[in-house]
Amino acid sequence: MTAERLYAALLLAFPRRFRRRYGGAMRQAFRARYAAAVASGRRGPFLARALCDVLGNAILERVSAARDWLLFPTVHEQLARREQERRPMPWHALTTDVRYALRMFARTPVFTGLTIAALALGIGANSAIFSVVHGVLLKPLPFADPDRLVMVWSDNTREGVRQYPLSAADYFDVKAAARSLERIEPMLSFVIQPTLRTTDGVEQFTASATTPGMFELLGSSAALGRTFVASDGPHAVVLGDGFWRRRFGADPAIVGRLLTIEEQPSLVVGVMPPDFHFPLKSMLGPTGTTSAKEPDAWIPINPAVPQFTQNGAPNRVVHILCVVARLAAGATVDHARQEIAAITARLAQQYPDVNRGLGSDVVALHDQAVGRVRPALVLLLAGVAFVLLMACVNVANLLLARSVARHKELAVRAALGAGRIRLLSQMLTESLLLALAGGALGVGLMWIGVRVLIAIAPPELPRVNEVHPDLTIVVFTALVSIVAGVLVGVAPAIAAGRSNVQGMLKDMARGVAGGGLRQRLRAALVVGEIALAVVLTIGAGLLLRSFVMLLNVDPGFRVEHLLTLQIQLPSRIGNSPDARRAFYATMFERIKTLPGVIAAGGTTRLPLGSTSVNTRVLIDGRGMSASDMPEVEFRRAVDDYFSAMGMPILRGRTFSAEDGPTGAPVVVINQTMARRLWPNEDPIGKRVKAGSNPQTPWSTVIGVVGDLRHSSLDAEPVAEFYIWYLQGPPTAPFIVVRTHGDPAALATSLRAELKSLENDLAVYDMRTMTDVRAASVAERRFILILALAFGVLALTLAAVGVYGVMALVVSERIREMGIRLALGAPPVKLLTLVVRQGLTLAALGIVVGVITSMALTPLMAQLLYGVQPSDPVIIAGVPAVLLAVSLIACAVPARRAMRVDPVTALRYE
Amino acid sequence: MPDRLNLAAFLPLTPVSFEILLALAGGEQHGYAVMLDIERRTDGAVSLHAGSLYRAMNRLLEAGLIEELDERPALEHDDERRRYYRLTPKGLTVARGEARRLELQVESARQRRLLPGGRA
Repeated sequence: MTAERLYAALLLAFPRRFRRRYGGAMRQAFRARYAAAVASGRRGPFLARALCDVLGNAILERVSAARDWLLFPTVHEQLARREQERRPMPWHALTTDVRYALRMFARTPVFTGLTIAALALGIGANSAIFSVVHGVLLKPLPFADPDRLVMVWSDNTREGVRQYPLSAADYFDVKAAARSLERIEPMLSFVIQPTLRTTDGVEQFTASATTPGMFELLGSSAALGRTFVASDGPHAVVLGDGFWRRRFGADPAIVGRLLTIEEQPSLVVGVMPPDFHFPLKSMLGPTGTTSAKEPDAWIPINPAVPQFTQNGAPNRVVHILCVVARLAAGATVDHARQEIAAITARLAQQYPDVNRGLGSDVVALHDQAVGRVRPALVLLLAGVAFVLLMACVNVANLLLARSVARHKELAVRAALGAGRIRLLSQMLTESLLLALAGGALGVGLMWIGVRVLIAIAPPELPRVNEVHPDLTIVVFTALVSIVAGVLVGVAPAIAAGRSNVQGMLKDMARGVAGGGLRQRLRAALVVGEIALAVVLTIGAGLLLRSFVMLLNVDPGFRVEHLLTLQIQLPSRIGNSPDARRAFYATMFERIKTLPGVIAAGGTTRLPLGSTSVNTRVLIDGRGMSASDMPEVEFRRAVDDYFSAMGMPILRGRTFSAEDGPTGAPVVVINQTMARRLWPNEDPIGKRVKAGSNPQTPWSTVIGVVGDLRHSSLDAEPVAEFYIWYLQGPPTAPFIVVRTHGDPAALATSLRAELKSLENDLAVYDMRTMTDVRAASVAERRFILILALAFGVLALTLAAVGVYGVMALVVSERIREMGIRLALGAPPVKLLTLVVRQGLTLAALGIVVGVITSMALTPLMAQLLYGVQPSDPVIIAGVPAVLLAVSLIACAVPARRAMRVDPVTALRYE
Repeated sequence: MPDRLNLAAFLPLTPVSFEILLALAGGEQHGYAVMLDIERRTDGAVSLHAGSLYRAMNRLLEAGLIEELDERPALEHDDERRRYYRLTPKGLTVARGEARRLELQVESARQRRLLPGGRA
């Protein structure tokens, strides 16, 4: 009996209709023969044959059912079959339309392929960029109640520095007084690079120093272990997920281990989950860090350091804290901003020496995180919308062209009684199907596209690791496809619906296809496409020029042939200034013996590659209060730094061996500092000191060196002064080495040399200066690459559009061309006819495009550098390119026009 | 009068189809009986299982060569759940046509001495 039940189950493989008809009989036959087979002992072979019989025939039956379904979709053809069990379904019209559409697509594979490809490209690109924009800009931050989180900044309006960190004392005062903030926690405004001693030696990692309560404030808990509690003290560490996997092999027993950090045992208390990203580079203000890498780990702020606590009281002079806070219930960002401003004003009055001229600002954390990239991303989204529009226009054109070819069929159907609604719904069904197919393919493209975008994205792009294709995107893509389908179907559908049957049949007899409306619509679509292409290409061109101009900016030193790296002295050497001086002497001696080295030096702040530190200086002979003291950036020069960098000495002299540790303190200033502080005097011989402590000795200015661009290529140079390493040897400087040939070739031998000199020396971040400069413009490059991709895409789509339309025009007018040729017109004349028609459309499109872009490009002025939005080179160049492209696109159909055989053409119907 | 052109469209029949027509040429039958009939006549050489049989019968039905019976034959042979089939006139013509074609083929085989009894 089970055999029969199994057989009955296998019968499910047959189509339902077949099963209903013959299923009963088949089961009976099986029952009878099975009994016979069992009786004669042939059960096994019989069952095997029965199985093959059922499965094989079921497959064949289904295949032929599918073939019938495809080939006979219309009603009258179905009636030709003996359909006794047909039940008209309510959705019959739709399925008929769908089958019909599928049949049409199968017949014209090239057209279908092109259309789906165009839509897939537009929809896929759109969705990919939208994924990125969604992940970076739109998604809320991954913290608890993220829109109640804000950051509190100081504002040094006097020096023009926005988003200035707070001093420790100011932070405590704000914390005590602010009612609009229910909780507030600080972190250091820069990432630090503590050493980690392992069995292999010493290495560096990046860490952010926060108070224990910061994690609670954010509402984030550890994935393993826990976050800090106050009793942990300063020697604890919370690891980031990436660091834990990379460095510790995702060791599950890491919690509770002791790591030697800065030569002290520190307890690992927990590991954060992989989706915890804090702080983002943008949250540390402009000078927090140049590396876009997230911190590897978090350590507690050590309140004992002098920048925090000086002489037993919180330090009010040095500004090192970035502050995150949660709004109290019912408070808004504006409330908080006003309240903090009032507190700051009060502090400025209470402590005029240090706080005069300091303002404040409160910014929503989300804006702080992504506000800077918003304009660029919005621009990208606009670009993508344009491309999608172009793709839709292209497809509409193609559909329109095809609807002309289907004249006959449409006319006959209309004559047979198909209402306008039916025809319209048929066209709409087709375009929707195409759009959905394009959308499905587009989802695949989007998936690839998002991966590619993440791969080429600059590391500075905040939250790029939170970009994942997700359900919102899929829904968005689906919506876009449907809208695209409707848009694209509307034009031809309207054109089809308006067809006048009588007129069309008459037209066909005369061999003229396409009514006036259709032609105008087509022309309008092509003009629109070309205009869009112009706008996109002009935008891309402007960005390209900006980028080139930026790269050509002279940063104030020679970029080529320069190798850079950072070192950190082990504390054994670092603890004694004499030991440091001796070490550097030996180190530079050794470096200069390496082959290919021209010069070598060092500094504490690498231009384009590191943050800055600034300080206030007092000028001898000018009475000034503490808050009048000008702020300048502070650097140290080690060994032959200026000559290794290629910086010119403009006045006076540079440091020398004579300026020893016991000699008179000397400084070298840069040109901007000279101009700002001594506008009408010679600064050489003048005396300055950092800070206002009367015990600090005065330093004499001995030289003026050229300006350089430190924070980025498009930032103006700032006032800098350098002290000599012999008089203040650093512990973790950058080393720069100028080489004859390729600096990268020196990397391994240099590292080996340094390690052999001192094994416990931490050597890291070895890069050529060219790479450093490239990293500093990585974000621009990313935008540029995308804009160029759009430009190329736009040009391609425009070319395809022009080609499509001109090809159609030619094929429509074949008869006319045949007549002209037969009447003796030279073929060249036909060529010029076609080309002229095409170029007229193109010219019109170009004019519209140029006017539109003149209106739109000022919106992208923020992203441009050294280029006006109305740059004449681009505005003239792009139309020329488009004319050339249109010319080429017309060429093929034009040649076809020339080659028309009058005899065939006249016979053509 | 069946169209001659139409006949040519049907021939040659597949072996299974012809066997079914042969089986039904002897009178109305139900599906299982056709199965057994074919097995008996061919001495087990052609043994159809239900799937192949009914698929072929479906095709013949759609082509109009056989038809389902609405009335049942005499009560003694009746089984309520069984469907009975018979040849249509068209089916008869086609079966005859196929038989004639095979006859011609056999005649050629005899002439070429593949079978005994051929004339030179």
